[in-house]
Amino acid sequence: MKKDLVVRIGGEAGLGLAAAADILAKVFVRLGYHIYSSKEYASQIKGGHNYHTLRITNSNVSADVNDVEVLFAFSKDTIAKHYEFMKKKGIIFVDDSFNVNEEDNKNLVLIKIPVKKLEQELQEKGIVNALFLGAFVKYFGIKSSILEEVIKEFFKEKAGQGERNSKAAREAEKLVERVEEIEAHNNKFDFLSGNDAVTLGALDAGLKFHVQYPMTPVSAILHNLAKEAEKNKELKVMQVEDEIAVINMAIGASYAGARAMCASSGGGFALMIEAMGLASMAEVPLVVVEGQRPGPSTGLPTKTEQGDLKFVLYSGTGDFPHVVLAPANIEECYTETKRAFYLAEKYQLPVLVLIDKQLAESFKTLSFHDESRKLSIDFSKKYGVKIKLEDKDLRNGLFKRYQVENDGVYERTLPGTENGFYTCAGDEHDEVGEIIEEQEIRIKMMKRRMNKLDYIAKELPLQEIYGEKNAEITVVGWGSTSGAIIEAVERLQKQGKSINAFIVKYMRPFMSEEVGNVLGKAKKLILVENNYSAQLGGLIQEKTMIRFEETILRYDGKNFSVDELYEELKKKC
Amino acid sequence: MLTLKDFQREEQPNWCPTCGNFGIILSVKKALMELNVPQEETVLVSGVGCFAKLPYWIKAYGFVGLHGRSLPVAQGVKLANSKLKVIAFGGDGDGYGEGGNHFIHACRRNVNIAYFVHNNGVFGLTTGQYSPTSKKGTKSKSSPSGSEEMPVNPLALAIASGAKFVARAYSGDPKGLVEIMKKAIEYEGFAFVDIMQSCITFGKEHDYFKDKIYHLDDSYDASDKVKAMGKALDYEETERFALGIIYQEL
Repeated sequence: MKKDLVVRIGGEAGLGLAAAADILAKVFVRLGYHIYSSKEYASQIKGGHNYHTLRITNSNVSADVNDVEVLFAFSKDTIAKHYEFMKKKGIIFVDDSFNVNEEDNKNLVLIKIPVKKLEQELQEKGIVNALFLGAFVKYFGIKSSILEEVIKEFFKEKAGQGERNSKAAREAEKLVERVEEIEAHNNKFDFLSGNDAVTLGALDAGLKFHVQYPMTPVSAILHNLAKEAEKNKELKVMQVEDEIAVINMAIGASYAGARAMCASSGGGFALMIEAMGLASMAEVPLVVVEGQRPGPSTGLPTKTEQGDLKFVLYSGTGDFPHVVLAPANIEECYTETKRAFYLAEKYQLPVLVLIDKQLAESFKTLSFHDESRKLSIDFSKKYGVKIKLEDKDLRNGLFKRYQVENDGVYERTLPGTENGFYTCAGDEHDEVGEIIEEQEIRIKMMKRRMNKLDYIAKELPLQEIYGEKNAEITVVGWGSTSGAIIEAVERLQKQGKSINAFIVKYMRPFMSEEVGNVLGKAKKLILVENNYSAQLGGLIQEKTMIRFEETILRYDGKNFSVDELYEELKKKC
Repeated sequence: MLTLKDFQREEQPNWCPTCGNFGIILSVKKALMELNVPQEETVLVSGVGCFAKLPYWIKAYGFVGLHGRSLPVAQGVKLANSKLKVIAFGGDGDGYGEGGNHFIHACRRNVNIAYFVHNNGVFGLTTGQYSPTSKKGTKSKSSPSGSEEMPVNPLALAIASGAKFVARAYSGDPKGLVEIMKKAIEYEGFAFVDIMQSCITFGKEHDYFKDKIYHLDDSYDASDKVKAMGKALDYEETERFALGIIYQEL
């Protein structure tokens, strides 16, 4: 395969689109291809118009492109909706009973499947996805045994259903001529969503307690972990009444010694804010995943946006330390979640992993084994947990848990530890957790807490520059838009433009000096964000006094494709 | 064996002199002492309000969190380490107002913790507004013409929400209070005790309860859920408060 193959699967919710997308992706995983798969869907369970897009490539990518080569049309209006995105000579698999007219679809290849007839012959219903898949693999010269294996794996315990779908696929294969020949590669990939990567990162960091109230786009984290808890008896997973209970319960569990996490989207996180301050004040380790979707209020529940950056940075009463990490791709959803657990435990504070719908619910191939080695932290030990107490650790029988002189080492005892008593307090407190109002203690305690950000800044790695360091133009972005930025910039580099991309990953503590140095080298800066108000731009201006004259902003609920962003950037270069 | 002195910390409670909270904190210490629960395995969790300072004045593990949120924290502690004895504390504003939703779901969830609510029918720490358990018509700074809402019935709410151990006690009845606390702490599951309390500064005087309380005797069958519901509701008519275990699932 020389170029990308983009397959789009569109139609009403409830017709089996997701199954078709998943099965097709796994066929290509077996063939050793890289895949980036995203979905667009409405906030309804049946009906509406949803579509999945699989970008099948020879290289590691994290973004959508525009040109669709193959369309599975599960409904008649699917063709009209996606016609403008179709490549010339693109192929459409469609039910022949839709009576799609060749005249209306010039330059396209229509492969009409007699769905009704086959359903009657096979005495089956709801097999249209299997029929399209069978026709597809034949057309592209993929061994039918691969499709059958994937179908079998997909239906697992429902063996009968797997067999019926395979049979339908075989029938459809008979109707189609082999036109292309897709070769297999020797790659072995895993296929994960951002939610999956967060889940695995948390489990590899020794997660023991997860609590969540379901909310798009991060419900899959709850589903993944609930399933994991069935076989892993050391893991407790709770679904509770609301997000206020979610975060307070996680804080309680973490205080008692369990590595704890919770997850939500912006609306749920809004309910957690008071307790973010509590975790920071009481110095309880906590990992919170925030999967952004467009707000305000209920907003666009199933779409994507990067509109919560300033919200998660500045929400809360008073000044308190918390960390905000923004993974730029699915690999980093894994590594940054692990880093979050490490920082939370070592520095006893809440750490937020900020993702969005585009990261959370898109899938891609990656070599998970390689990723898991990238960030090696020993999670078999607990950081900062004191087991034995000596006289010097105590004041009148209470543990000096909030000691002011600490050199960056923050220690706590877990309930159950002999002589380790202290009060874990949301009130301002002294070194043993006694409630206080004295000004000098208040000042010392504020410093003890706020100093954490300086210690953490020293532990964070450098953020990546894509391209020549001294390029004339630097494109700046963060999070899920990074994939499109990097590819669009690469295209411009190939045309000889002096351009690079800089992706900001650490929002708090913010690496002002590093960011200032990188951006200071460019003659021209272009900011790309999936929000209305250029929130990262505002943060950079606040921290470095660097202002962005050129911005490319999108806030219609969609992510940038590489092609769209390339065109926008070209105008500004 | 533990003595009361073992629970002593350097600071002394700063509640108003003769506040009902003194009776409650002493009863907590006595219950823990008599049950001989190791101090390091005791976790006291509270929220915000006059009552909420209690963990600062008992030597054990203490957690003083946010207004209305002691129940989720306490359940998290217990779920993370089942060896710990966990007692959550609430107030009528804290537990029945701010934390009302957590209360309903804690009853349903039945995590093995005790929940003691200091119910004095008034907001003390914010200087005397009516609370969720104030009688309809209560005149206060925020209800100069009398409050318009019906009061919450915590016992009925607990039973209806699936709680399996529901009791009422009174801060001025130390003997009865200690006994109920001990039973609640020992109970395997969510054990809820509504503790009626006077607020000598903003609310009811101590004598208010004198003629209105009575102890349930042995003839009362606490396992009959329908009767228990009746008992939970009857003070609204009779203005007499039954003390003891109102409902306990067998």
